[in-house]
Amino acid sequence: MDDQVANRIEVKALSLSYGPEMVLDALSLPIPSGQITVLAGPNGCGKSTLLRAIRRLHAPQSGQVLLDAEDICRLNGKALGRRIGLLAQSPSAPQDMTVEELVRLGRYPHQAMMQPWGAKDDAAVAEAMTGTGVEEMRHRRIGSLSGGQLQRAWIAMVLAQETDVICLDEPVNHLDMAHQLDCLELVTRLNKEQGRTIVLVLHDLNLAARYADQLVFVANGKVRERGTPETMMRSDLIEEVFNVTAEIIIDPVHKRPICIPHRRS
Amino acid sequence: MSAVAAMRRRTMPGPTTIALLAVFAVFVLLFVAGVGFGSTWIGLDTVTGVLLGGGERTDRLVVLQLRLPRVLAAAIAGGAIAYAGYLLQRITRNELASPGVLGVVDGAALGVVLFLAIFSNESNALIVPVAWQPLAAAIGAMTAIGLVFLLSGRQASSAIRLILFGIAIAAVAKALTTIFMLIGPIYQAAQAARWLAGAVNTINWVEVQIMLMVLVPVGIIAGIAARTLPPADLDDISSRSIGLNLPVYRIIMFLLAALLTAGAVAFAGGVGFVGLIAPHMARLLVGRGRVAGIVMSILLGAIILVGADLLIRVAFAPLEVPAGTVTAIIGAPYFLYLLMRKDNSNG
Amino acid sequence: MVEGMSGPVQADRSRWPVYVALALGLGVAMLASLTLGYKLYGLDEVWAALFAHDGSETATVIAGLRLPRALIAPLAGAALGMAGVMVQTLSRNRIASPDTLGLNAGASMAVVLAMVVFGVGSLAGLSLAAALGALMTSIIVFGVAAGAGGLSPLKIVLVGVTFAGLAHAVVEIVLTSNEAQLQQLLFWLSGAFVDRPISLFFNGLPVVLVGAALAFALTSALDALQADDSTAASLGVPLVAVRGLTFIAVSLLTGAAVSMAGPVAFVGLVVPHAARGLVGLRHRHQLAAAALVGAIYTTLADVAARFVIYPVEAPVGAVTAVVGAGTLVVLLMRRLA
Repeated sequence: MDDQVANRIEVKALSLSYGPEMVLDALSLPIPSGQITVLAGPNGCGKSTLLRAIRRLHAPQSGQVLLDAEDICRLNGKALGRRIGLLAQSPSAPQDMTVEELVRLGRYPHQAMMQPWGAKDDAAVAEAMTGTGVEEMRHRRIGSLSGGQLQRAWIAMVLAQETDVICLDEPVNHLDMAHQLDCLELVTRLNKEQGRTIVLVLHDLNLAARYADQLVFVANGKVRERGTPETMMRSDLIEEVFNVTAEIIIDPVHKRPICIPHRRS
Repeated sequence: MSAVAAMRRRTMPGPTTIALLAVFAVFVLLFVAGVGFGSTWIGLDTVTGVLLGGGERTDRLVVLQLRLPRVLAAAIAGGAIAYAGYLLQRITRNELASPGVLGVVDGAALGVVLFLAIFSNESNALIVPVAWQPLAAAIGAMTAIGLVFLLSGRQASSAIRLILFGIAIAAVAKALTTIFMLIGPIYQAAQAARWLAGAVNTINWVEVQIMLMVLVPVGIIAGIAARTLPPADLDDISSRSIGLNLPVYRIIMFLLAALLTAGAVAFAGGVGFVGLIAPHMARLLVGRGRVAGIVMSILLGAIILVGADLLIRVAFAPLEVPAGTVTAIIGAPYFLYLLMRKDNSNG
Repeated sequence: MVEGMSGPVQADRSRWPVYVALALGLGVAMLASLTLGYKLYGLDEVWAALFAHDGSETATVIAGLRLPRALIAPLAGAALGMAGVMVQTLSRNRIASPDTLGLNAGASMAVVLAMVVFGVGSLAGLSLAAALGALMTSIIVFGVAAGAGGLSPLKIVLVGVTFAGLAHAVVEIVLTSNEAQLQQLLFWLSGAFVDRPISLFFNGLPVVLVGAALAFALTSALDALQADDSTAASLGVPLVAVRGLTFIAVSLLTGAAVSMAGPVAFVGLVVPHAARGLVGLRHRHQLAAAALVGAIYTTLADVAARFVIYPVEAPVGAVTAVVGAGTLVVLLMRRLA
């Protein structure tokens, strides 16, 4: 299905456990370049852990993650931070930090002893803030921002890292509908206009189906199946993975499948 | 553990009662040893003889006037502080809370130093009986607590913030104490320093009686209030929905714990560490049950302080190293070690 | 929602006027330290005493007694201010400080033990003891607090206070068995700049400079550490290494301050708040401002210590404790911390 598109990231037989519990079980998954891959699955299936393992926040027991065919364990922290960005699930920062100070943190992987802050960094920060629309709020403290504004500020921080791959771990869970749309439309724009590879973990299956190029169902630490939303959104598969009986229809606005769960199975 | 097994564990008298009896036995042993040990060893039979009204005159003197008050005071103070520590740890849901952090001990110290400073004449002799010193300590302790509650106002219901206010007040009290110790003559500083570190060696019968008169009623009231403890493990909103006004309850508990601590500290000096260790060890031995936890904490607190006092007399004689210091030096590292081994966070 | 010291928006302005003002303030404070005290001297007398070497009583007082204080106080204050910034960032907790985490107590316990138990008399030895004491304490406190279910603000402060209590107990044993040295030890234990030979200043200066250099090398990592661990890690911050190096910097700075002046309380708590209010959260500025503000603060406190119980000298640690604790209370009451 995706042979023509180069795979930015390849997860190969990744196994990871917390203590006695095996969270990822020899999981393999290609992440195609320039596409939006969405990881979905029931609670505790391992999708967040997978995302964090891709960014090397956890060390696997076995298996590899390849970035452009290179094992990520070979790269040092800052180098990896210049190539993969991750917006964590519940990020936090001091409430009195300004938006600009927050976005500036994204430049950390680009700084070195011999290369302190320069014009390039200023430019990256400015572009990140304009791209997310937080430019006018740059001097406001993040404690005074609304949920949607705060999320955009965090995305700006990740953007300032100037990575080709951006991972977002449940970025819209706590946002209202309007801001959910804002956030996901922004992410889509980054993908379509700038060609960045996006990996998203989304809780809401319908949002996942709407925005994904590759939709991946994760269950019990393994990839149950992956494919386009059209091929993935099937009653039988959804019943197996999510334990609900669901009706599938086509969303008239986005022309993507949506599911209507109506009974626990 | 399955629900059935858990229920069975609660209704079986076994492990908890055994532990309580064993610890009580240890306490009695230590108590007798504490009374018996000294420059002359007084055996068990002599001690019982004296207690029952007989015995030789010298023996009676030593046991009743010197040894017994001291050991009793250590036991009572240790038990009271341990009790206070138990209440604090339950109500703040944190094993690291202790009476020492509410500024009580430092306030009491300031009271003592001020007492010595004000009531000494030019030749550094006290112009009022030294029996008033515990009162000064108690006033200092209660002032400290009062300030903590006054300043924290509505924030008193948050354990973290209350303890932080306590740390601030303690720091001010400590600073003022040092200043006054410096203004005064050396003997004062030495005596105050010794008191600060916790000393029961100068206690007499009258003081023991006062201690009992203060602490027993408070202890009983606290026991009644403690019946509400299990629901207090809930968060603020959930407990309100079952009719418990948690912020007010917390303040009451803090106050009772403070009173117990002030009563103990006023006579025995800075023995705050016992209130940190004893409840924790009690929980290790008898689990989370309320009654067992309180009784065990009191017993362990008494044991620790009596044991420390005995240890000092055995090992450090003739140097009068204060009891509180010994408990701190032995207890604190052990406690820190325990913390590292178990994940016992509970909020 | 936090009402920061200057509201929801931070004005975008250059920080240079702030630094100039602070530097001038430091100069004024140091002059005050030289001229004010048990006896008041005029500026001309100070000038003559420092540069004329005429052996007069004035010269002895100013050059021999006041000058060391006027140098040690700001150096210790700067060191503690910078250490405070790093401790607060490291523990993500605005009420943490070298004192509330027990570092001061650990350092002074190490000094007292070194003096009394091991008979260390040399200044270099005592400085080393202080730095080692601070380092050991920071490892123990962070280790225990991190192990006991996570680094929550309450846990780490309580563990720190517990450890400080332990250190104090050790010191008190030493106190009661060394009554001859009591007065001297007492003074030591609450922090003072008085009666210190100027060699302490020259002893402490290189240590402070090394610690400060290390701190400034870590500024971008410290900035990133203000965010949660996952975010910092995904930015590429080597968490363990940065924390370890920061401990070392904090220990060097705290150790230097304690070996020069004993445990001066609450400086590392209060100063970072003032610094942040003036220059914002970027550590390049926080550290620099904290150094200047800390220096001014301790110097002025030292001057005040000469007058609070005139004619007796109060230990400066007592003055900073009262001011610092008062500030802590205000911070807590206004929910700024």
